[in-house]
Amino acid sequence: MKARHVWIVFKKEVKDIIRDKRTVITNIVIPMILIPLINILVGGGVEKLQRDIEENITITLSETSRTDEIKNLVENEIFKDKPNIRLVDTDNPIDAVRDADVRLVLDFDSDYKQKLTEEKPFVIKLMYDKSSTKSEAAVSIVSQAINEYNMRLVAQRLTQRNIDLEILEPARVEPVNVAKEGQGGNMVLMMTLPMIIAILVVVGGIPAATDLVAGEKERNTFEPLLTTKPDRASILMGKYLTVTLFSFVSIVAIGMGFVIGYIINPNSITMGTGEQLTGASIPPLALVLSILITVILGMMFAGIQIALSAYARSFKEAQTYLSFLIFAAMIPAYATMFTQPADIKVYVFLIPILNTISAFKMVLGGVIDYTSLLVALVSSIIYLAITLAITASMFNKEKVLFRS
Amino acid sequence: MLSVINLTKKFGDFTAVDNLNFKVERGEIFGLLGENGAGKTTTLRMLATMLKPTSGTAVMGKYDINNEPEKVRETIGILFGGESGLYDRLTAAENISYFAELNDMDRKSIKERIDFLAKSFGMEEYLNKRASKLSKGMKQKVAFARAIVHNPDIMLFDEPTSGLDVGAIRNVHDFILDCKKQGKTVVFSSHSMSEVEKLCDKVGIIHKGKLKDTGSIDELKRKYENDSLEEIFMRLVGDMNEG
Repeated sequence: MKARHVWIVFKKEVKDIIRDKRTVITNIVIPMILIPLINILVGGGVEKLQRDIEENITITLSETSRTDEIKNLVENEIFKDKPNIRLVDTDNPIDAVRDADVRLVLDFDSDYKQKLTEEKPFVIKLMYDKSSTKSEAAVSIVSQAINEYNMRLVAQRLTQRNIDLEILEPARVEPVNVAKEGQGGNMVLMMTLPMIIAILVVVGGIPAATDLVAGEKERNTFEPLLTTKPDRASILMGKYLTVTLFSFVSIVAIGMGFVIGYIINPNSITMGTGEQLTGASIPPLALVLSILITVILGMMFAGIQIALSAYARSFKEAQTYLSFLIFAAMIPAYATMFTQPADIKVYVFLIPILNTISAFKMVLGGVIDYTSLLVALVSSIIYLAITLAITASMFNKEKVLFRS
Repeated sequence: MLSVINLTKKFGDFTAVDNLNFKVERGEIFGLLGENGAGKTTTLRMLATMLKPTSGTAVMGKYDINNEPEKVRETIGILFGGESGLYDRLTAAENISYFAELNDMDRKSIKERIDFLAKSFGMEEYLNKRASKLSKGMKQKVAFARAIVHNPDIMLFDEPTSGLDVGAIRNVHDFILDCKKQGKTVVFSSHSMSEVEKLCDKVGIIHKGKLKDTGSIDELKRKYENDSLEEIFMRLVGDMNEG
């Protein structure tokens, strides 16, 4: 293998691919536009839903409860400090809930007034529609408001009896967050980013790999290339490096997409959940190790892609083989989407793809275990060596290259 | 200039090329005549070092295909039949230059050589156009130029006229004769009697991997006392089919 020949092949392949508008659009333009767009749209949707749930809670009274007294109790007593809860009139309360015209129907015990006077409990039924997120969410908000009313009433009754209000609270709960700064703060990113990175690294080189070997075979350019001076190892290495490069181009484009999204709307990066992005606590060594593991994963899959493309008889056959890699990446990525970094076992770091996802989950979650990261790094290097050896041997096999 | 010595290629139990022996001198065109599947392409692929012989060898110029494949590839140019096999997104000049670079030519020589070839083949007007924008005839000329950009001593043509129209076939024939004029050693595979008769100084009739007979066309005609190469071919091949 000669570095000069590798460079000539690499240079030509990069130029050739860059001139292919489809590849440029798929690998660079779409991620740069799509990521901020998805984040902003999903983020905007989440923010709007959150606002809608908390604001403009419309309630109505059941037909039996529709009296001036109850209206007065609801508006001026129970929800007097709750401008977000609004009582409205409807003809058919249940249908109004089902049609999403109101969130809840309040149904008071018919003898509520007597019970209230006798200081006995009465029931307020909250009728809601479980199939509606907003209606279901309104139950807890309205319940909370009713509880506050209860507390006010109890306080009033105890004061009348000259009893200290502290009797109501024998034990006070005081939650204290002891997590390090940044831990758990990137929940949304921790779920999505490692998954996106792993999938892209695994599939990013597919268009280039398909084109560079199977495509060449189909266009009859492969055999003339093999009759030129360079040995096969140089040609393979030039093509392999091109595929590796394009595996990471998508990642860089995605990264730029996130940056663009962040510039347009800082909330978009956590998809509108209101979480703050905390990067200050990420240890640089852990980040470097995670990036290295990712790079090696990309290099390994570039090798697999070239090998499959070399094995394929045609462009279409290569596309079919390579499409399986998309599943290979997506299944572990989705399966571990909700896994918490602290729950990841060391052996998981031995498994390709999962090791990259886990490493980034650790880094973003702020729970760093260097032993696991080293296990991932060393095993990845071994897998890479095995993959490259297999790819090189396939590229030298006449049965593979001249399959017809 | 080119010697094939006991060249054999087996794929598992199947013998694609069986103990081939022939010589081609400098400035000579050798036609490998045979039906589809006779072993022509496998032979040329071995001569071009794309396939490794199971046994035997060939000496291309000064270099042995088994011992110095890289030197052999530097010495040969190859042209395949059918589609010209250019990189569509590269210009004509870039297509030629890529192969020149791969054959270790320096920038100055590449430029001079491309200029020379552009003039020779009349490609000046479309040299900087992308291959995808060229007509079939233009692409063919670019493929010719690419094959000889490094000025190889030996040219291999693997059924170069297959699937081409009359005009394009004529271009190929002219190109092959031009190579001969330049003193190159030419091996040319075909299943067309007429083009072998038109172009070749010597012919080898190959069937089921075996070289049935070899010699100049006149020699073969005299030996088999027949004026028709087709008759001679059918007799040799027929003998083998029966055998």
